[in-house]
Amino acid sequence: MPTIRFLSADGTEFAVEAQNGRTLMETALENSVPGIIAECNGSAACATCHVVLPEEIMLALGPISEHENDMLDFAEAPRESGSRLSCQVKVSDALDNISVRVPAA
Amino acid sequence: MSEAVKVVDDVAFEELLANPYPVFKRVRDLGPVVKVEAANIMMVTRFDDIMAIERDPETFSSINPQSLLNTVIGPNLMRKDGDDHARERVAMDPSLRPGVVKRCWADSMRAICDDVISQIEHKGEAELFEELAAPIAARALADILGFDGVDWQTMALWSQSLIDGSGNYSHNPEIARKAREAASGVESAVDRMLPHHRDNPNPSMLSSMLQADPAQTVEQIYANIKVAIGGGLNETRDSILTLILGLLQNPDQFARVRAEPSLWGQAFEEAVRWISPIGMYPRRLTRDVEISGTLVRKGEQVGLCVGAANHDDRRFSDPEKFDVFREKKSHLAFGAGSHFCAGTWVSRALVSQIAVPMVFERLHNLRLKDPELVRVRGWVFRGPTHMPVVWDA
Ligand code: FES
Repeated sequence: MPTIRFLSADGTEFAVEAQNGRTLMETALENSVPGIIAECNGSAACATCHVVLPEEIMLALGPISEHENDMLDFAEAPRESGSRLSCQVKVSDALDNISVRVPAA
Repeated sequence: MSEAVKVVDDVAFEELLANPYPVFKRVRDLGPVVKVEAANIMMVTRFDDIMAIERDPETFSSINPQSLLNTVIGPNLMRKDGDDHARERVAMDPSLRPGVVKRCWADSMRAICDDVISQIEHKGEAELFEELAAPIAARALADILGFDGVDWQTMALWSQSLIDGSGNYSHNPEIARKAREAASGVESAVDRMLPHHRDNPNPSMLSSMLQADPAQTVEQIYANIKVAIGGGLNETRDSILTLILGLLQNPDQFARVRAEPSLWGQAFEEAVRWISPIGMYPRRLTRDVEISGTLVRKGEQVGLCVGAANHDDRRFSDPEKFDVFREKKSHLAFGAGSHFCAGTWVSRALVSQIAVPMVFERLHNLRLKDPELVRVRGWVFRGPTHMPVVWDA
């Protein structure tokens, strides 16, 4: 099981065991990581599950859908080069030990 | 030990219509699930309960083939779940994404607002429901659907007739007839417009549905366009009026918003929390389940009262107050879960970035003609229904 290091906006780290196949959003909610609201529960409709990933991982994850790409421009915190909707990223071994930052809204 | 559902049988239906918030408060404090006889529904009214329910669509299903909504408009995405719902939702999303709204719809929405305001600007007084909010909401919706040449009154009539038909639990024949007429009116408009949108791909919803993969059937297009008409007009209309009302009643807050235009978005979110245009929607249980300790049986229907959740004092302090500057917290005015309002981004842009700022910009020294004349009504759908104002023309 990969470990994901969520970094909340105030700098607190939540290192959690994640299950492959679950999304980062689900993993964050199950571990009560603050700042992930996820109003639409993973439908890529609300942009309240915005996270910032390390850039190396972005390449490994492959292209972002047109819909997510559009949505990210309107997340509350400004978009960064590592921005993703956490509901659209599935946990896999490739994500082991990465740090996932929740940007300040 | 799980508790049984408590019952409230001394509330009159008219009380709910006039002002549901005192009833909501009583019900919220009584228990997590309470049957309100006057409305003939089990209400869930606490914020955290609704949020949890919306994360569990397998237990709390939207599927309800027997619902009046399905009878009136045909099988539609509001009463589907999972992949069936997602496929139809994805077919309309390309018209409703926030970036698309900004790039493709903002200019025409601005032109519509400009035109509507120009028609009343010189008069110095108006009734804002009929003369401002309804035409703006209806015309913007017609544009986004791709309905050329349908006037706003027809859009408004279709919308209201479909809503009334979906709530026609007493089977009133006249309401049923009007709903059928609206449904066939919408279908003819779709038939008339489809060839154009097929030949000229564009950002409209009809065009998006035609381009979707898998392609939408005509029945799906009919039904979901009717959902968009029934569910995409009054919310915009009502939130335009509610935001104006909140600011007119609170001049100090208005002054701050006006001085700092980036606050318009925040003001809009507070307006829809304060008086949520959609106050309740149903879910059906697929198994026996406890909602915060209260047992509800498989097959039963619960009404998720998001209007009540948005006034839940466990979450919002002084919830009945309009306060743009309250502590920032998410609300449930757009619902939650996979049925999260598809028109959220359109309404945010239209109401908070275009329509209401333009109203205050153009109608100088806008004020309520007489606070006593303002009417706000409804509980399943709630909003100002009558709002006379004056300004310096
Ligand atoms: S949970 Fe809504 S966009 Fe990810």
